[in-house]
Amino acid sequence: MRKEDTVKLISAEGFEFIIDRKAALVSNTLKNMLTSSGSFTETELGEVRFPEISTPILEKVCQYFYWSLQFASGKETEFHIEPEITLELMMAANYLHT
Amino acid sequence: MGGACSRKRHQQDNDGDEGQGSTLKRGITLQWKAKYGKVHNHGAGIGEHPSLLQLSIKDICQSIHIYDSMAILPRDLSQQILNELIAHRLLSQSTFRLFSDCSLQDIILESYPGMEDSWMEVVGTQQESLLELDISDSSVTDGGLQCLELCQNLQSLRLDYCDQISDVGLRFLTTGFLNLTSLSFCNSLSITAIGMRHLTGLINLKSLNLERCPKIHGGLIHVRDLTKLESLNIGWCNCIKNSDLRPLSGLTNLRDLQISRSKVNDSGIASLKDLEKLQSLSMEGCPVSSACMDTISGLTSLTSLNIRSCCISDAGCRKLGGLLKLRALNMGYSSITDAGMICLEGLTNLENLNLDSCKIADEGIKHLRGLTNLQHLDLSDTEVGNDALNFLSGLKKLVSLNLSFTSVSDSGLQKLSTLTSLKLLNLDSRHVTDSGLVTLTNLTELTHLDLFGARISDFGTTSLRHLKKLQTLELCSGGITDEGIKNLKYLTNLTSLNVSQNCHLTDKSLHYISGMTKLVSLNIANSGISNAGLQHLRPLKNLTSLALQSCKVSLAAVEELQSTSPNLCVVHLDQ
Repeated sequence: MRKEDTVKLISAEGFEFIIDRKAALVSNTLKNMLTSSGSFTETELGEVRFPEISTPILEKVCQYFYWSLQFASGKETEFHIEPEITLELMMAANYLHT
Repeated sequence: MGGACSRKRHQQDNDGDEGQGSTLKRGITLQWKAKYGKVHNHGAGIGEHPSLLQLSIKDICQSIHIYDSMAILPRDLSQQILNELIAHRLLSQSTFRLFSDCSLQDIILESYPGMEDSWMEVVGTQQESLLELDISDSSVTDGGLQCLELCQNLQSLRLDYCDQISDVGLRFLTTGFLNLTSLSFCNSLSITAIGMRHLTGLINLKSLNLERCPKIHGGLIHVRDLTKLESLNIGWCNCIKNSDLRPLSGLTNLRDLQISRSKVNDSGIASLKDLEKLQSLSMEGCPVSSACMDTISGLTSLTSLNIRSCCISDAGCRKLGGLLKLRALNMGYSSITDAGMICLEGLTNLENLNLDSCKIADEGIKHLRGLTNLQHLDLSDTEVGNDALNFLSGLKKLVSLNLSFTSVSDSGLQKLSTLTSLKLLNLDSRHVTDSGLVTLTNLTELTHLDLFGARISDFGTTSLRHLKKLQTLELCSGGITDEGIKNLKYLTNLTSLNVSQNCHLTDKSLHYISGMTKLVSLNIANSGISNAGLQHLRPLKNLTSLALQSCKVSLAAVEELQSTSPNLCVVHLDQ
C-alpha cells in the first residue's frame, strides 16, 4: 500500500493507528484536516494527533470507520459498543463529527 | 472536546405563522412514540448508516441504568441523551437524577408519565443554563415551582394543565425572570387575579397564554404594563368580560389576540381600537353584534380574523371591506347572506375563507370570482348549488374545497375539473354519485377525498384509480362490495381509509387492502369481515388504528394480529 493512501492517527498515549485514508474520511473533522488546501500540517504529513482521545477509544473509532465503509457497500451488520466506553466514545464521535 | 454552546438561541419556531388565526393552529396530534427495537435504521435515513454519535446515544439510552451521572459530558451531549430518553419514554425519576448539574438548556417533559415535584429538584440544578421548561400536564405543585428559584435565565415556561399549581406557585416568578418572554398556563383551574399580580414583574414577556383559565376575571389589570406583549390568549375563558379588555388598550405591540368564547361584547371590543399592530384577532362565539365592526374596521393591520358564530349581519360585514390585508377570514355560522357577500369582493389577498353553515347561495358566491389568491374555501352546509361552481372555476390556486352538505350534484362537478391544484376535496353529500366522480379523474393532485355519504357504488371506484396520490379516502355509501375495493388496490399511498358501513364487504376486501402498506388507519366497521380475514392485515406494518365494530371478529383474533403488528395499538371492537 502506498504511503499516501494511508493516514496515521495518534492517541493520547502515543499509540499509532495506520488506517486507509478513505476510512479516515468517514469523519468530517478528519476529512477537513486531510483534504484542506490550507496549510494544515496534518494535510502534508498524513498524520493526526489526538491528545484527548485514549487508545481504546481511538481503536473503537477506527473500527467504526471500517464498519461504516462495509455498511455503505451493503453489508449491514450491527456495530457493537461496550457500555463501559460509550460515554467517552460519544465525546470522541462528537469531536470527530462522525 | 465538546466545545462551548452559545447562550443565544434560534428564534422559537412557534413564533410567527402569521395569517392563520389561532383557531386554525389548534388541534390535537396523536403521537405514538416508538420504542427501540421497532425503529429501523437507527434514526438515520433509508440507505444511510447511523453515525457513531447516533449509535453511542442509542446505546447509552438502552443501558442508562449503569451510569452514575451525565455531568461529565459537555452539555450539548447530555442534552441529546435526555431528549432521546424522553422521546422514547425511557426516562424515569431515577434516570432523570443522572442529569443533575448538567447545565441543560431545554427540559421538555410535557405529558410525561410520572413527572412530579421530585423531578423539579433536578430541573432546579440546571440553574442559569435552563432556557426552556415545559412541565405541562404534570402533577407538579406550587412547592415544585419553588425549585426554579435559581433558573433566572428561563425564556419560556409552560405549565398548561397543571391542576396542582395555584396562585401560590406564581409567587415564585416574581423576582428576577427578566428573560422570560413566553409563559403559558392554559387550563389552570385555580389561578385567579390574586396570583396574576405576580406577573407584573415579567416586563419582557412577549407571549402569554391563559386559554381556558376559568377564574382569571379581574387579573388582566396586572398585565397592563407589559407593553412588550405581542401575543395574548384568553380564549375559552368564560369568566372574561368587557372590563377585562380595558387594561389591554395600551398594549399597542399586540399582534395576536385570542378572546374566543369569552363574554366580551361590543363595548369590550371597543377597548381594542388603538391596537394598530394587531394582525390576528379571534373572537369566535363572542356575544357581539354588528356594532363591533366599527372598531374592527379600524384595525387595518389585520391579516387574520375569526368571527365564527358571531351575530354579524350583512350591515356589519360591509365594514370588512377596508381590511385589505386580510388573508384568513372565518365567518362560519355568522348571519351573512348573499347581499352581504359583496364586502368580500375587494379582499383580494384572501387565501383562506370559511363560510361554513352561512345562509348563502349561488348569487353570493359570485362575489368570490376575483379572489384568485384563495387556497382554502369552506362552503359546507350552505345553500350553494351547481351554478356557484361557475364562479369558482377560475380560482386556480385552490388547494382545499369543502362542498359537503351543499346542493352541488353530479352535473356541477365537471366545473371543478379546472381546479387542478386541489389536494383536499370534501364531497360528503347524497347528491354526489358515480357519474359525478367520472368528471374528477384529472384532479390527480388530490391527497384527501371525502365521499363519506356520497352515493358511490363499485362503478364509481374505477374513477378513483386515477387519483394515485390519495392519502385519505372516505367511502361509506353502503353500496361498495369487494369488487369496488379491488379497484382501490392501486392507491398505495393511502394512509387512512374509511370504508365502514359497506355491509357487503367480505374478507376478500382485506386481501385487496393488504398491499396498501402505508396505511396507518383503517375503518371497516359494519362489514362482513371475519377472523379469517385479519391475516391479510399482517403486511400493514404501519397500521396503528383499526375499527371493526359490528364485524364477526373475536378479541382473540385481534390480539393475535396485534402480536405481529407492533404499531397496532388502537382497535375498536364491539362489546
